[in-house]
Amino acid sequence: MDHWECSRRQLLKAGLGTGLAGALGMPAFFERTATALAAEALASDRILVVLELSGGNDGLNTLVPYGDDAYYRHRPTIGLQAPRLRKIDDLYGFSPGMAGFERLYKEGRLAVLHGCGYDNPSFSHFSSMAFWHTAAPNHGEEYGWVGRLADRLRPGGAANFVVNIDTTQSLAVRSRDHTPVVFDDPERFSRKGFFQELPLFQHVAAASGDANPSRKYVLDVARSARDASALVREAWARYSSPIDYGIAPVDLPKVAALIAAGLPTRLYYASYRHNAFDTHVHQGDLHARLLTYVSDAVSGFLRDVERLGRADQVVMMIFSEFGRRVPENTSLGTDHGTANLMFVVGKPVKGGHYGQPPSLTQLDAGDNLVYTTDFRRVYATVVEGWLGYRRTEELLRGRFEPFALFG
Amino acid sequence: MANSVGPGPAQWIDDLSPVGPADWSDDRAAHLLERAAFGATSEEVERLARMTPQAAVTSLVAYQTIDNRHLKPFEHSGVHDRSLEPFPASRPAATDLAKATGEALGVRVKPDGNRRLQAVTNKFFYWLRASRLETNRVAYWWAERMLTSPRPLEEKMALFWHGHFATSEEKVRDYRKMLRQLELFQKHATGNFRDLLIGAARDPAMLAFLDAGVNVKGAPNENFAREIMELFTMGVGHYSEADIREAARAFTGWNFADLAFVVNRAQHDDGDKTVLGRRGRFDGVGVIDIILAQPVTAEFVASKLYRFFVREALSPALRSRLGAVLRDNRYAIAPLLRTIFLSRDFYSPASYATRIKSPVELAVSTYKKLGLTEIPGVPDFNEVTSSLGQQLFRPPTVAGWAQGRSWITPGLLIERGNFARSVLFPDINFIPPDRYPPDETIRIVSERIAQGLDVTSATKPGTSKTGSGEMTAMSNMLADRDEDFNTRYASYRGWQMAIEKVKPIPRRTAPIDLTAMVSANRLRTTAEVVDYFGRRFLRLPLEPDLRARLVGFLDAELGTSQVSVAATYMEDSLRMLLHLIMSTPEYQLG
Repeated sequence: MDHWECSRRQLLKAGLGTGLAGALGMPAFFERTATALAAEALASDRILVVLELSGGNDGLNTLVPYGDDAYYRHRPTIGLQAPRLRKIDDLYGFSPGMAGFERLYKEGRLAVLHGCGYDNPSFSHFSSMAFWHTAAPNHGEEYGWVGRLADRLRPGGAANFVVNIDTTQSLAVRSRDHTPVVFDDPERFSRKGFFQELPLFQHVAAASGDANPSRKYVLDVARSARDASALVREAWARYSSPIDYGIAPVDLPKVAALIAAGLPTRLYYASYRHNAFDTHVHQGDLHARLLTYVSDAVSGFLRDVERLGRADQVVMMIFSEFGRRVPENTSLGTDHGTANLMFVVGKPVKGGHYGQPPSLTQLDAGDNLVYTTDFRRVYATVVEGWLGYRRTEELLRGRFEPFALFG
Repeated sequence: MANSVGPGPAQWIDDLSPVGPADWSDDRAAHLLERAAFGATSEEVERLARMTPQAAVTSLVAYQTIDNRHLKPFEHSGVHDRSLEPFPASRPAATDLAKATGEALGVRVKPDGNRRLQAVTNKFFYWLRASRLETNRVAYWWAERMLTSPRPLEEKMALFWHGHFATSEEKVRDYRKMLRQLELFQKHATGNFRDLLIGAARDPAMLAFLDAGVNVKGAPNENFAREIMELFTMGVGHYSEADIREAARAFTGWNFADLAFVVNRAQHDDGDKTVLGRRGRFDGVGVIDIILAQPVTAEFVASKLYRFFVREALSPALRSRLGAVLRDNRYAIAPLLRTIFLSRDFYSPASYATRIKSPVELAVSTYKKLGLTEIPGVPDFNEVTSSLGQQLFRPPTVAGWAQGRSWITPGLLIERGNFARSVLFPDINFIPPDRYPPDETIRIVSERIAQGLDVTSATKPGTSKTGSGEMTAMSNMLADRDEDFNTRYASYRGWQMAIEKVKPIPRRTAPIDLTAMVSANRLRTTAEVVDYFGRRFLRLPLEPDLRARLVGFLDAELGTSQVSVAATYMEDSLRMLLHLIMSTPEYQLG
């Protein structure tokens, strides 16, 4: 479906007749309104999936700069040798198990964003992750950037607008107006009870003006649970897919199931949990395996949305809270670092390299990469370029130039 | 005793001066037991309410005089043997060792034929499974202590320290180390923080968890030094990266050998270090003392305790006053707890019934309020708490559990109601997770092996939801390329070997008799029943609209509003009523 087709379908949905407003000589006022609505309707079909790789993924051993000798000088033992890599050009090759990423890159659906980081980087998982979650490095911020984005895309909040698949809610989706739908196992996302009890489950007390903030919070969550659980359960029950997502699908089949069921969710948040990428010790096998899982899951997911006929609507952004120290440590692993790769993938993405790769010879005092791309530029890219929300300066508290990744 | 209901006045917020006998009430005694213990029955609440607040707090905090020798020690299944030590860091490490030496984990490599390393691999997986299952038994044992110990604060503080010095069996892979660590937390529960911190730094589970083994002279590993400053004592922003590197040197050579702490002198860096502005030839204890001398450390620890026991938000002024209490008492924990539990602030509206119970607290206090004296086997305690986001001995990260609002999501709120139902109406299709493997792959392999399939065919991947039409994912294609052993078969066989040895968890359901509870309390009408359940199980009054609906529900169920008429058939309806109450958002607050 091309963009014109898409907007026509949306106009039909929006009740504006045939969508041939201009051709029928509609007054300018209506035409403008129709165009604005079309843009809104177009954008309102678009879905962003954020995938977090927790623990600090070693970007240098993910997309290996095998053409740069400095890489092998820093990593004499754990450096991945060129013949094993899945080369995408003269300089870079993916870790051996990342066949999915290699294919996505070669199909032009995978954008690599180099050198993503921020000033005065934190080496703490929790601080740095919080900075990425809030898009506010070295500042306190109550709400997450995905949550604030939801507040702007749909002020006042709406049911099922944000879905976070996890056991606990990520700070990234914490929102003022929305209560994100957070669940882990869709099969367990339903109240068990006798027939007679069901009407009482529907009752959630009004929370307005409650002096006890915790009570207000649990009541809001109760309302979100009531509104979402049947839809999610139903979506998962109906879903099955011939696509192979690999050994660790990272919750992406659940996202596919909700997309397939047509939930009004625009923002999905999933993660490879439990600091899995924190590879201080003997990282070789472990790290390669984790990357294989991610590559399998992501490429499986994208093929699945294609199968569902929704590939034009879905883009995924992948990040980690930091990269790792450039030189290997003495335990055949790597310690916490700074700048890292990000990936944006999907059919609508113009694949390729973006941003300046950091130098492997001019490191900072702690042997870390010097970042070249503020990670909020990538946020701005997906917010503005993909979701069509233009006031990123307010959202991200600063002007961050988007990359021309779309259209 | 005054009849004060609910929280104290708003002016009590941030006021650390003690409440007096005139401020005491059933509600406030219940609040104290909710926080300093694991909740209580109405009878226990009344007992504390009859004391002065000073005496009530003393009865919880100064528990050393209370005899608890009747509590049984943990009963080991006997799953460990010496050949497992030192346990290899990973499956590849185990098979590499076997290839290099002809033997690993007490199992020799087959001289010839197919899958020569299969038995080694089986043994590797055996211990992973056995240690995990045995850890679940330790968790049961601990939960039982939380429920029945006459010193509940000791167990509650152990739970706090477990979250503070978060260590996961998933990485430690040795239930014995986890049990030893728990005993350390129990021993120093309300003792001196310095003793506990040094104990934790020398604890084999902690050393294994934070990669102490690779922190050696000339190549320090910063993991442990970073966590001790960031998570255990000071918090981010009070030390530099250089402090971490220098502190890491002081901890070099600290290691463990099986269950013992050892210092490897040859690997210890005895040179000069500069840590937090002090210079000297410090070892680990020297660094710990420098850290404890920082004013921020007492504030960090005191405010973390406060957030655990009282509420999430505290002002900088209160933080520094709490830090002063801990510092003035030379890091003794008990006096700080006493100050907190007696303070007006603790009973103020900002603190009262505003705390979201953690999953372990929810489960244990539910059992406590039901009057149970043992943890039911159905539902499975670990399965329940894990599905609610808190499995004992498996904190999600080194930062422990996030606490507070993170305990509740839409999914988890529903799970909490379903937990209550699984206690009140036990699932007759219950399958014990200590026998039946939770991993679908193991079950599929087991079935295929029994059908006579060869190992390769029996271990072909694919789950029920995805991948039915193809096998293209790299991870699935690569899984069994090694002919020396098959990991999926080993995973299945390891499980089988483990359940042969690990003692089963008794699977009794909860002996619940709500009819008896109603008659013992001489409740006459459905409205009185709803009000009694509300008081016994909730820390907030039932919202009037909901109360009316619940009374209407019970009237309709019983066909009368008179308890005397319905006494012989009301049990199921009372359980439904309680299920509805426990499913409310308010039940999550304590």
